[in-house]
Amino acid sequence: MGQFECIESYEVDKVSVVKFVDEKVMDPGRIEQLGKELLSLTDEETKPNLLINFENVRFFSSQAINKLIVLDKRVKAGGGQIRLSNLRPEVRDLFNYTNLDSVFVIRDEEAEAIDSFEQD
Amino acid sequence: MNDTTWVWQYDQRIPSDPKSGVDAIRVLLEQLEQREWPAKCVFGIHMAMEEAVMNAIKHGNKRDPSKHVHVLVNLSETQFHACITDQGQGFNPDDVPDPTLDENLEKTSGRGLMLISNFVDTVTYNDVGNSVELVKHKQV
Repeated sequence: MGQFECIESYEVDKVSVVKFVDEKVMDPGRIEQLGKELLSLTDEETKPNLLINFENVRFFSSQAINKLIVLDKRVKAGGGQIRLSNLRPEVRDLFNYTNLDSVFVIRDEEAEAIDSFEQD
Repeated sequence: MNDTTWVWQYDQRIPSDPKSGVDAIRVLLEQLEQREWPAKCVFGIHMAMEEAVMNAIKHGNKRDPSKHVHVLVNLSETQFHACITDQGQGFNPDDVPDPTLDENLEKTSGRGLMLISNFVDTVTYNDVGNSVELVKHKQV
């Protein structure tokens, strides 16, 4: 796995856990880079299981949400699963207001989210 | 103090590029934080401004370098008021598909207007549809 600018990634129980470097994911150039880095995670695994941990994130724009939607489609097309965790209440509101909480499985804590992956 | 006794104003015509939009919003956020607006309010204003300004730059002016976006923000002790105006053709907000419908959920566009209306108290478009007014009251 190469070096990333916008994310850090580690593995727990065969799940790739991703955290964001930026507290405020809002800069257009950084969001483009973020999108590329997220998609690159799916290149390395045939059935990626990804957990996006939002614990560092204080702001997340709709452009950044769009990158997650593209990622979600790629992961599901590859037979993988995606989970979100550790969202601040305001960030969680973003997903509630837009009904995207019906697209993404969201859990409060990382460990709980890892347990929620369906086994083969 | 009256709710509309303004204590800070930002009145700039910014270029039609996203970086300029981010810079303008950053100035506002610094003011809100210095004036100790609650974090939840700051988040809501940030979200609404981000979407409104980026819509003006990308969809209104279509990033045309010959056009600008007028960003006017007033803060009182208890109220945020903004007016964002682009030089585009305008649009009808009622024509924008509902992003929360099942068939639109996984589309990567159309969420901005919904987020704006959820994160501020009042959203008003002018008749042409190239200017939007946002109001949010400070909630402690």
